[in-house]
Amino acid sequence: MSEALTLNAEKRSHSGTGAARAQRRAGKVPAVIYGGGKDVENICLDPVEVTKAYHRGDFLSALVNVEMEGKPLQVIPKEIQTHPVKGQIMHVDFLRVGKNTLVTVDVPVHFSNEEESPGLKRGGMLNIVRHDVELKCPATDIPAELKVDLTGLDIGDSVKISAIDLPKGAVPTITDRDFTIATIAAPTLMAEEEEGAEITGEEGAAAEGEDTTEGDTSSE
Amino acid sequence: MLQPKRTKFRKAHKGRIHGNAKGGTELNFGMFGLKAQEPARVTARQIEAARRAITRHMKRVGRVWIRVFPDVPVSKKPTEVRMGKGKGSPEFWMCRVKPGRIMFEIDGVSPDVARQALELGAAKLPLKCRTIVRVGENV
Repeated sequence: MSEALTLNAEKRSHSGTGAARAQRRAGKVPAVIYGGGKDVENICLDPVEVTKAYHRGDFLSALVNVEMEGKPLQVIPKEIQTHPVKGQIMHVDFLRVGKNTLVTVDVPVHFSNEEESPGLKRGGMLNIVRHDVELKCPATDIPAELKVDLTGLDIGDSVKISAIDLPKGAVPTITDRDFTIATIAAPTLMAEEEEGAEITGEEGAAAEGEDTTEGDTSSE
Repeated sequence: MLQPKRTKFRKAHKGRIHGNAKGGTELNFGMFGLKAQEPARVTARQIEAARRAITRHMKRVGRVWIRVFPDVPVSKKPTEVRMGKGKGSPEFWMCRVKPGRIMFEIDGVSPDVARQALELGAAKLPLKCRTIVRVGENV
């Protein structure tokens, strides 16, 4: 299970875009807590604390204790909005959870023993199909990560969800098939093609240019 | 070089680039990416140059994903031609890149190689870029 986080929060009285922007200008991160059959609570968080927690990597699959006015509240982060350019956290959604709540979370997949894989040793590439897997599990028992052991995997082999030991009570949301987590792919031949292109150098580039113009004339 | 196979119209308006990217702002495939920090018109030739620089530095390992596609034709009038008499003929393809857009993603190489490869690729592009790493990866 992932280590529980603690975040300090303050209540905010106003909701909406304008109020959220005002909070951001004041150096806070607006957030909201919902679920559990109770009213929605608008809160604001310390940006340093949230950013630190987010960059741990398992923020969206970790149980968080939000401390508000001295009272702790168990929640899990449901959504996090970041600035498209700067990457700063702009808003966080939290879901209230209890002991028996079942939650759907994205659990990160981590790979180990890469040097024990003959396929990777021979120049193969680890092609990660899913960086995280959606699991349904009890809120108090969310796994911190799914470990994939690459020992003995050769080129062409793949790791399916059935090969991973899931913690007790956790089931993947995709149940209709044994989906792939990663494959060991053969090394790409891109480099060889590129070498050939580089030999032609400037001429190659000019030829490409001519091709384009020819294409355009023919289309006219 | 990248270009559409078929288009509905041969020529397009010049257009302007306003605001930040709405989609394509998070890493979807690889561990490392190159994020645009300012708006720019990126040509197919520049994308290809950046791709070559990245793959060359990565040698035979790893994988590259290109997250932008030049689908806007740019027309040009021939030299020594007076103004008027209609729009020029299409010369090359470009894409409008908004700030925040992930342009390239790579995976399967060490963090140092990835960073250097993306920096070399960024040098071929007409805009300021930033190298980003998947959240949670301690590199």
